Amino acid sequence: MSEIIAPGSPEGTLLQLREVVKVYDSGDVPFTALKGIDLDVHTGEFVGIIGKSGSGKTTLINMITGIDHPTSGQIIIDGTPVHRLGENDLARWRGRTIGVVFQFFQLLPTLTVLENIVLPMDFCHMWAPKERVERAMNLLEQVELADQANKLPAALSGGQQQRAAIARALANDPPILAADEPTGNLDSKTADAVFSLFERLVEHHKTIIMVTHDNDMANRVRRALHVSDGEIVEERVHRPRVGA
Amino acid sequence: MRFVRWRKVLRDLVSHRFRTVLVVLSIATGIFAVGVVMGGRAILLREFNAEFTASVPLNADFFTMPFGDQIVRRARAYPGVAEAMGRHTATLRYRWPGSDAPRSLLVVAIKDFHDVTVQRIVPEDVRSWPPRRDEVVLERAALQVGAYKIGDTLVVETRTGEKKTLTVSGFAHDINAVPAQFIGAETGYVSFETLPDISEAESYNELLVAMKGTDLTQREASLLAEDIKRDVLGNNGIAVLGVYVPKPGSHFLGDIFKAVSLLLLALGLLSLLLSGFLVVNTVSALIAQQVRQIGIMKAIGGRASQVTWMYLGLVGIYGTLAVVIGVPSAAWAGKRFIQYAAGVLNFRVSSYVPPDWVTALEVGVGLVVPLLAAIVPIRLGTRTSVVRALTDTGVDSTSFGHGIVDRALGLLRGLPRPVALSLRNTFLRKGRLLLTLTTLSLASAVVMSVFSVQASINQTTDDLDAWWRYDAQIRYPQPTAQAATERVVASTPGVTGVESWIGALATLDRPDGTTMEGIGLLGVPYNTTFIAPTVLAGRWLQAGDTDAIVVNTDARQAEATLDVGQRVTLEIGGEARVVRVVGLIKGQLSGPALYMDRAALAPLLPQAGITQTLVKMASSDSAAQRSVLDVAENRLEESGYRVASTRTQAELRDQIASELGILVAFLVIMAVLLAAVGVIGLTGTMTINVIESTREIGVMRAIGARHGSIYRIFITEGLVVGLMSWAIGTAAAYPMSYGLTALLSGAIGLPLSYRFSWTGVSSWLGIIAVISVMASALPAFRASQVSVRDAIAYE
Repeated sequence: MSEIIAPGSPEGTLLQLREVVKVYDSGDVPFTALKGIDLDVHTGEFVGIIGKSGSGKTTLINMITGIDHPTSGQIIIDGTPVHRLGENDLARWRGRTIGVVFQFFQLLPTLTVLENIVLPMDFCHMWAPKERVERAMNLLEQVELADQANKLPAALSGGQQQRAAIARALANDPPILAADEPTGNLDSKTADAVFSLFERLVEHHKTIIMVTHDNDMANRVRRALHVSDGEIVEERVHRPRVGA
Repeated sequence: MRFVRWRKVLRDLVSHRFRTVLVVLSIATGIFAVGVVMGGRAILLREFNAEFTASVPLNADFFTMPFGDQIVRRARAYPGVAEAMGRHTATLRYRWPGSDAPRSLLVVAIKDFHDVTVQRIVPEDVRSWPPRRDEVVLERAALQVGAYKIGDTLVVETRTGEKKTLTVSGFAHDINAVPAQFIGAETGYVSFETLPDISEAESYNELLVAMKGTDLTQREASLLAEDIKRDVLGNNGIAVLGVYVPKPGSHFLGDIFKAVSLLLLALGLLSLLLSGFLVVNTVSALIAQQVRQIGIMKAIGGRASQVTWMYLGLVGIYGTLAVVIGVPSAAWAGKRFIQYAAGVLNFRVSSYVPPDWVTALEVGVGLVVPLLAAIVPIRLGTRTSVVRALTDTGVDSTSFGHGIVDRALGLLRGLPRPVALSLRNTFLRKGRLLLTLTTLSLASAVVMSVFSVQASINQTTDDLDAWWRYDAQIRYPQPTAQAATERVVASTPGVTGVESWIGALATLDRPDGTTMEGIGLLGVPYNTTFIAPTVLAGRWLQAGDTDAIVVNTDARQAEATLDVGQRVTLEIGGEARVVRVVGLIKGQLSGPALYMDRAALAPLLPQAGITQTLVKMASSDSAAQRSVLDVAENRLEESGYRVASTRTQAELRDQIASELGILVAFLVIMAVLLAAVGVIGLTGTMTINVIESTREIGVMRAIGARHGSIYRIFITEGLVVGLMSWAIGTAAAYPMSYGLTALLSGAIGLPLSYRFSWTGVSSWLGIIAVISVMASALPAFRASQVSVRDAIAYE
């Protein structure tokens, strides 16, 4: 069902990481979290980043989303040299290019579910103000939360909050979705529902990069990158199941 | 709302109601303090000056032998004179059914009350105006010392010893009349027709002159007064008994006003600084709580500028709400403050509306200061990298353990674990701790300083008792036989000792040709045991001092030539005498005075006799002393010796205390106000600190901490911060209170005896301890009620 291949750099990539290094200086001894990562991701890929706690997988996805800056190396996403962007340009770029999904959902507690989804459109001036609510409702319908639109996040279950967070990540129709342990805080049934949602999005040509330490989830992604000690030590490509 | 992000701003306000109320209250308290102090000062000065100027204050006051309208017309026509009027004044003893003791009434008789051109009088509550024959309209300050009513009868004793009745027909206001509580005498206005009934001549004995020129100097006024004295009065055969030339534009309460004004300005600036720190502290804490949400917004596309505007908007709304609460509250409290001040200082207020600049300052404190205060924390918050913001717990795990203090705390052994945790928690957020300590220490220092200034004022009045070694004083209207009066008074039951003094008025001839008229010159036995003067320079009088005088600090303040070692020319009894200033003694809050040996002064005066008897009594009870004094007065009257006034030293002390009491009252008001700022600041800071620790509380409860343990940790933390601010504030209070006392001393022209108030220090310690506990316990209780899950997930 799967084969091990060496990391490569095929043409027409959506995302390219070259020699990305991240060193943290917070302790007495500098800690190298990423040791020269090279990675290419194509449009429509569903990539899983797998590794143990402290392996560097979250640091890697933070480099991709621009949430954190590399110490050295290049990150080029959809033609944009992300590593050269300042915080302000990064925020604008991220809002339009990458939808971020967090393990703890990170919905703003004082906004309703609907408002949480409208907020990225508001920040990035996407769609006319009148159309934003309509679009947000469409997204909520896609994640089957239309009936929860006007509730505050605290009134939703963990799975519902995560689906709302995915709807928010899709608000500006970004080509890439980056998710850090999106099912880590959910029970297996809810996690399965969220994963199915990702799969549907990939079918609609979204590129998804997901960090997980769950081997079952890792086996369901198209391409799995195994990270250990700040390096990609293994890459598996899963062929689609026949009839799937 | 078109933009969702602004909805978040509004929801944050509403959903964190406790925090919103705290922040708004903190900012409103700052506005309130600045508004009351600065607004109060501005209105006080504006209204007082407006009424004082409108009253046409005099520039020269001539006390003379009788004169008529012709002199007044000449004075009015004299070059440089703007207005002049004559009136008749007399001080009479009177009894009133509302009081057992005889009192003094300064009777002011005016010929035409519709033509008062200098020192205008405003009728307020009168049955008839002008007063009819045998009626008296009292200056309204009389109501501060007694419950006088229209229709009351005053039995006055005339110069000839007759008893006459005057009926109170109303109350008027005269801003130039010295309020009754300051001089122990009421002022009453009567018509000229009443004068013969009270054995006074129907003529003027006082000429009031207002001079032309808005920028008149005291020297110019003195020179013009000299000319008027010579040309208008002297050359027309009118003898002048005394001339009073005040500093142009200054009121007799000018020193007190200056002191109050300076005090208010100093405290106003301190409250402005305090409010600034309070607002900075509150806003910084608020933004620190929002770092994670800032991170989320940036992660989903929010730019730093957008997020910055959101939080500036939030702070702007807090500020606006605070302005809406603070400005009207300050106006309300300011009005009460001014009403109080107008009552004790006896002036009328036509408008309580503060000047525009005060309102602008209030709005500035409410809006601009919070926004400025917010800029740095907001910029730091929005500049925090998303990854750091998302993992923010309010505390950098690496922020503790590196500094000297941290290491010292780490070395503390043997402390109970919760206490050690509280101590270390206190130093966890060092930036916040610094801001909190600065705010609270400043508030503590100001409050304790105010206590010390008040203690210094009280010490100064206490020192009067050390100076006075006698219990009462009897004054006579003219020089009286020493031996006979001493015998009568000494034989009064309850009297243990008597001493006679001579009082005279002297004129100081300055080298530049001008004079200073009407300085009190006292002839005192050089070896007196009735006073114990505090010699500040030179020496006290001694045997054989025939040409030596000792001056008090009030006289030195009023006249620079009266310096120790100087020879000055005094006109005593119409003759110029050169005397030496041999000593400077501390003044006794009763104006300028010169002291000379009685044996040396007596031969210089045209009329032999003493003018006052000082009395020592067996009883120290003020009521008993008053009874003894009344008996002595009656005995003197029965023996044919008329008495001008009697006063126990306790009564004098009360009068002085009521004058300084204005300052004390202002200080107490300010102390309460600033203490409130400090208390609200402490409460707000502690509460926000505990709210920020909600997540830690969740963790502690998750690992088994009970409510009691959590309370102890936060209450100890609050107490540590409170006690540290108290300790720093105490250290700062000493120089601050010394400076404030020196400022006051300069303003009222009296060296106040400085005393550091340990009562203030201990009281504030108690207050700050209680507030620290309350401010920490309440939010800790709220936080402990949150479920562990919610506490850990607290945003």
